[in-house]
Amino acid sequence: MSLTYLEAIREAQYEALRSDPSVFIYGQDVGQFGGAFKATKNLSKEFPGRVFDSPISEDAMVGMAIGAAIEGSRPIIEMQFADFSTVGFNQIVNQAATMYWRTNTSCPITIRLPSGGTAGSGPFHSQSMEAIYAHYPGLVIVTPATVEDAYWMLLESIQLDDPVIFCEHKFLYYHLKAESLGDKELPIGKARIARPGRHATVVAYSAMVHEAIRAAEELQQDGYQIEVVDLRSVKPIDTDTILASVARTGRLLCVGEAFPWGGVTAEVIARVTAEGFHLLDAPPQRLNSKDTPIPYHVNLWKAHRPTVASIIDSLRSLLRY
Amino acid sequence: MPTIPILMPQLGESIAEATMVRVLALPGTIVEANQDIFEVETNKATMGIIAPAAGVMGQVHAQVGSSYAVGANLATFEVSHEDYLVLGFGETKPETGPTQVAASNGGSKDGVHFAVNDADTIYQRQPTVEPVVGGLPVPAGAAGASYISPRMRARMAELGLNAADLAGVAGTGAGGRVTVEDFEQFLRSLEQHRMTPASPMRMAVADAMRRSCTRPLATVGASVVLDPMLAHRKRANPKPGPALYAIRALAIALSENTAMAGRLVGTRIVHPQAIDIGFAVEVDDGVLVPTLREVDKTPLATIVDRYNKLVDQARNRRLPKDSSRPGIATVTNFGTFGIVWATPIPLPEQNLVLGLGAGTKSPVWSDEVNQFIPVTMAELTLSFDHRILDGGGAGRLLARVGQLLQQPEKL
Repeated sequence: MSLTYLEAIREAQYEALRSDPSVFIYGQDVGQFGGAFKATKNLSKEFPGRVFDSPISEDAMVGMAIGAAIEGSRPIIEMQFADFSTVGFNQIVNQAATMYWRTNTSCPITIRLPSGGTAGSGPFHSQSMEAIYAHYPGLVIVTPATVEDAYWMLLESIQLDDPVIFCEHKFLYYHLKAESLGDKELPIGKARIARPGRHATVVAYSAMVHEAIRAAEELQQDGYQIEVVDLRSVKPIDTDTILASVARTGRLLCVGEAFPWGGVTAEVIARVTAEGFHLLDAPPQRLNSKDTPIPYHVNLWKAHRPTVASIIDSLRSLLRY
Repeated sequence: MPTIPILMPQLGESIAEATMVRVLALPGTIVEANQDIFEVETNKATMGIIAPAAGVMGQVHAQVGSSYAVGANLATFEVSHEDYLVLGFGETKPETGPTQVAASNGGSKDGVHFAVNDADTIYQRQPTVEPVVGGLPVPAGAAGASYISPRMRARMAELGLNAADLAGVAGTGAGGRVTVEDFEQFLRSLEQHRMTPASPMRMAVADAMRRSCTRPLATVGASVVLDPMLAHRKRANPKPGPALYAIRALAIALSENTAMAGRLVGTRIVHPQAIDIGFAVEVDDGVLVPTLREVDKTPLATIVDRYNKLVDQARNRRLPKDSSRPGIATVTNFGTFGIVWATPIPLPEQNLVLGLGAGTKSPVWSDEVNQFIPVTMAELTLSFDHRILDGGGAGRLLARVGQLLQQPEKL
């Protein structure tokens, strides 16, 4: 019995609805239609009245969810694309994020954002928003890279009393499969060593973890052992695991699919340089998408984002330093 | 086919440039990877520059007989596309100016939109330090430029090593630098050697000497006639050690010109407050330096007992705390080991160290009796911090000390 990343998300929501009566799911087309990507397929039938449609206004959706949350519910909001969350930006960063700090009332909402690009998805259906939301205190940002993490971290996110931005990667939805969900291994806030190594560390999250692992496997043939760290949650970031990895290897490449300016990669490098300067045998490097809006055309899109080839190139210059 | 520059590599720790001696691969020659393509000469040796990959020699810019700095562009070399990327030349260069994008026909009034130029894509930005040696921004003019990463620096500090200690460690990093991995491998290879523990005294002396040598030191020497001192010493009771005569002579000479033992701070010389002079006592595995206080004011006869007691205490490692306070100069009588001449290193907090060599009976011409007469001669050497003192001043100080030693009864 193997299940996809998307099915794991559906399973987690099923389990959350089953075990906690305060949980409900709200979003565009989540009800009878089962969600744009079918993440809530059949859930409205299984749990009548708890999985229902919203108007096409992320502002209204988040606002409503915040209201429900402070009255005791645990809403899960499904947005159709991470890019659209900016319509509800004010609600997320000014209301939800600050609610507990201002009023001592928790705001336990979980916002699921289908993130990342696929061929031809273009500038408004491909964005990765984790850095934007991580900038605001009060939010938890989760970026699962595996089927197991998609399940266990979604369950944990729903149970957290803080507002959580759950960045699920669209490309992984149908392409990533696992035999079973296993047991919960790591909590939110701990990074995972996806591949051990000694010559360089690649810190990545979400789909880029898989690209980094493929790059590492190819470099293995040249005798390099590349360590890959899967951040799992962008906020809180597990600086300890990252520093321990750089202590082992002395070289760091941080890869992210988002735009370069002020991204997760910049945050990781700032921390490692400030707290682990004497661990570095070479300047820390980062690799992101280009500093331009995300292109439509497949060829341009492929040139825009980090790929296995560009990760290998960056690693080679890092290793040669 | 893409071309890469052949740059003058870092050929050794302190090598900043080399002279082109022979072009082994003329333009147009097909070359294998690691084949010798140029022969260059440094002030240490003649060595070869090898091709970084298989390819074809292009234009050779360097001329035989001329000298080129590390990082200088010697030639262009054609390589395959694959090697071009593997060697790290794959990144596109930033454009030289912003690209203007005309307004579309939407009726917008201004015709210029801010457009991203490639130079703004920050991850592509090249370092602005030129030249680049194998991707490493090494200033070509800096002699001994060998990049030491923060991790290397920390690791070397742990072991009390400095850049000079890296010579002889094979470097596999860019520009021939020693990477942490190279260094750890070198340290592991040392485990096969015989090792004995270093005493705390050894570590302390090593640290003091290392710190002392961070400044410009020089040494001058002069011969001194020892016979008057030896005659005085024979008659004296208690007998002063030879070093004590030198200490008193140095103290009097310094009291006549305290600037020589001063400290240069900014644009001013800080003069010493008291003429305290230390003397070296050999102990197990090292040296201790007890100090005699205000020894310009204390005649020789009054300090013999104190001196002897300090020597004894030093040998037994029982020096009282206050006598370990540093003085302004040190005297070292290495003549007792048979050494005739040496270049001692001053303590890090002092400018001057006066060395007294072993006396030897030498023939010296005497105009008075018109023949060679036997005289006991010794070499005095004065090492000094050249920031505060020059050869002339040092020479005059030595001459004065020698002069004072000719009248030991006045010391």
